[in-house]
Amino acid sequence: MQYPLRKAFHGLLLVLGVTFISFVLMVWFGPDQTYTLLGKNATAEQIAEVRHELGYDQPFLRRYLDYVADLFTLRLGASNASGEQVSRILARTAPVSLALMLPGFVLGNLMGIALGLAAARRRGQWTDRLISGLSVTGMSISFLVIIIALQVLLSTPYGLNLFPVRGWQVTDLPSYLWHVTVPTLSLVLVTLGYNTRFYRAVFVEEASRDHIRTARAFGASPAVLMWKHVLKNSLVPIITRVMFSIPLVVISGSLLIESYFGIPGVGKVAFDAITSGDQPVLKAVVGLTAVAFVLIQIATDLLYRLVDPRVA
Amino acid sequence: MSRVWTNRRFFWQPVALLAVALAVAGCKPEPERNDGPATDRIYRHAMDGAPSSLDPAHASNIYANFLAVNLYDTLYRYKYLARPYRLEPNLAEGLPQVSADGLIYTIRIKPGVYFVDDPAFPEGQGRAVRAADFIYSIKRHFDPATRSQGAWLWQGRIVGLDEWKDNGADYDEEVPGLRALDDRTIQIQLIAPFPQLTHTLAQGYSAVVPREAVVAYGQEFAVRPVGSGPFRLQSFHSSGAVLIRNQGFRREPFSLEAEGFDPALQEELGLEALADRAPPFADRIEVEFIAEDAARWNAFIAGELDFIKVPVSQFDQVLATRDPPTLLPELAQRYRLGASLESGFVHTDFNMDDRRIGYHPDPDQQARNRALRCAIIKAFDWPKRNEVFYYGIGKVFPGIIPPLTAEFDAHGDSSPVRRDLDGARDLLSRNGWHGGNLPVLEYGFPSSVTERQMFEQFRSFMADIGYPAEKIRPLTYATYGDYARAYLNREVMLTTTGWTMDYPDAENTMQLFFGPNASPGTNSANYDNEEFNRLYRASASMQPSPMRTAMYRNMNRMVIDDCVTISGISRTMILLWKRDRAMLPDRSFVGGFFFRFADPGPSGSEAE
Repeated sequence: MQYPLRKAFHGLLLVLGVTFISFVLMVWFGPDQTYTLLGKNATAEQIAEVRHELGYDQPFLRRYLDYVADLFTLRLGASNASGEQVSRILARTAPVSLALMLPGFVLGNLMGIALGLAAARRRGQWTDRLISGLSVTGMSISFLVIIIALQVLLSTPYGLNLFPVRGWQVTDLPSYLWHVTVPTLSLVLVTLGYNTRFYRAVFVEEASRDHIRTARAFGASPAVLMWKHVLKNSLVPIITRVMFSIPLVVISGSLLIESYFGIPGVGKVAFDAITSGDQPVLKAVVGLTAVAFVLIQIATDLLYRLVDPRVA
Repeated sequence: MSRVWTNRRFFWQPVALLAVALAVAGCKPEPERNDGPATDRIYRHAMDGAPSSLDPAHASNIYANFLAVNLYDTLYRYKYLARPYRLEPNLAEGLPQVSADGLIYTIRIKPGVYFVDDPAFPEGQGRAVRAADFIYSIKRHFDPATRSQGAWLWQGRIVGLDEWKDNGADYDEEVPGLRALDDRTIQIQLIAPFPQLTHTLAQGYSAVVPREAVVAYGQEFAVRPVGSGPFRLQSFHSSGAVLIRNQGFRREPFSLEAEGFDPALQEELGLEALADRAPPFADRIEVEFIAEDAARWNAFIAGELDFIKVPVSQFDQVLATRDPPTLLPELAQRYRLGASLESGFVHTDFNMDDRRIGYHPDPDQQARNRALRCAIIKAFDWPKRNEVFYYGIGKVFPGIIPPLTAEFDAHGDSSPVRRDLDGARDLLSRNGWHGGNLPVLEYGFPSSVTERQMFEQFRSFMADIGYPAEKIRPLTYATYGDYARAYLNREVMLTTTGWTMDYPDAENTMQLFFGPNASPGTNSANYDNEEFNRLYRASASMQPSPMRTAMYRNMNRMVIDDCVTISGISRTMILLWKRDRAMLPDRSFVGGFFFRFADPGPSGSEAE
């Protein structure tokens, strides 16, 4: 009983810390929406009216406490820009981001693990050098360049013209695959290098441990060594990496992917809120991301115990 | 052997899976883009920005205005093909009857116009549009809860409207200057003559909204429009909007003549076939909001869009010649080109409220400051600015009357926009300015690569007259909102902005330099010239006439002589659309009405 309580307390502190820092940034350094919402030739009185409507005239502490209270009661309010309820915006856009990012996220990690294992298995040999070299190359290419190049290659008459350049008219599996393929390839290409490098390092470290040498001495085949001993014993860092990426995938989405492929996900909504100073949306995204991190942290701890009995 | 096989399988399995996914996905599914019948005629339009709200009270930019005037009805609109723009009755039956003193406008609205069906109405049935709806729609702008961005159009203009707001914006309280004489007759009483009133009634701001929907949806009315325009909303999100034909929209046969058709210029557009048909001609309009130039261009080339405003970065790949702009032959087979001068201009204002560069209590220093401003203007290289940032096809002109307005003087003196380095240096030295005592110039701009490049170019222009580079400093702001806050609070010494005209009348640019409109108003130069102000007041109540034009040109001269602004350039937009789409696209602020006339043609009936 002590463990969940301690975790919950730490989680609460984390949420309060994240929300406070982000709120300071929003209020003191974020865009002031007053002048975006004002009409032309505004008078001082009209400026004061808009500031009042936006709550800018309230004391900082009161605004922060209101924010925290709203977050914990899930009263997310309405967007200052569109007037739409923030909960409705998130309910509409978060599933789109999830559907958009999930295949790339899963494939990127699976392929990263596979390539990392292959490189670790042949450490120092040409396979390792090739995979490591390609990983660094992949990491060096800008996400934007990858997106535009794939669009041109796969979606325009200059290339294969197989897929749509943009849009998200998803009604069934074929239409989903049709729209998600190029974004997925972009995501895989941009993350594969990072994933491969990370997993290779994990596997190399694991492969040099005593129990692996013992297994090899017992005559375990290389495949069994890698699958059963190295991979299984590396699950803790793998789980950590995967789990802590989930909130970013679900809530933050990918701004570039959504912008360039015209996909109405939560990443673009969050970005627009940041650049326009739409605080209700921003507060919800930041707050919910913090809460999601806390929940993921608790789930991760539970998974650690599942895969490694030594974790107390 | 088995080890090798295991490893290969292990390595290639994900690749094979991906290949299968690609193969499956590569088989394009049947398009299921719309909910309408298979014969829907779809027009796909790209915008380079997105509206955040569809409430007419927030129709402050081109993107929002485009959607507002198609989802809602305005009393007036602009003729589809006439250039310069001319007003045309829309929801109104005819042009307004104006009293002899120019103070009372009486407008009849058309009979049998209905709002679209919506749950906000009893039994979900759209009801008839009444004169009282217009009254309500204008009042809304003066209700602080609406957070309207359009109230400035009628502020201080209509009898009793400002007082109505001051008294608490009670909708049950009548406004003497806004009356519904009966269900179809509107009467507007002005405080003073306002010849531009009819233009304001062609803006998205003035669109007619039903009170029931505003009450039912509250703040969400901004994303749940209920209007009587040619289209109704099917979906709206951060990447686009889908509009479908309002089946109940009044049927008014299209007339080329009435829309201002010019056979000499518009014969090739294929518009003749539209005669006598009733707009809207498209069953469905798909509007894509694509801010990224590369993505917009790729989508257009891939055939996913019918129309785009070509990004400047692509002009090289599109244009065969610049003057006049013509298409490369290979593109001309597939697309039509429209070179459209913007109805507005870009200018850099000096903050006259800043004693280092503007007005000064000491007359001598004030004269020196003016000489400094004039020297800076003389050193500004407009052809180079045009070449580097506008592909050399922008229209440079002196002063504040843009070329697209009727008041523009095409044969006027162009020397104020001609670079004169010797004259600039001479001015500086005659007024005792040298590198050591020149003031630090703070040049403001919102953070972006292009803005930064413009700043650096400005600095290089000034270097040519000996202005030390370290004395020209950038003031960067993270967003345009922050930049606007700074210059509206008079914190920026040099402010560069683009002005898009709200209506095609030079009064709309004259007010940018009218003293009482100083910051936080639109006069961001904080220019205050008594004679200019007097002429502005005198001309404000005049209908367009040679006398008014002469007054405007006189005021233009004052702004030039006082060296208040480095101005200006009207940008040329290159518009491309598919050849088989019979239409004349318009991307100006007042141009949104063209959606109803966009004909996707026979090939527009299917998604491509």
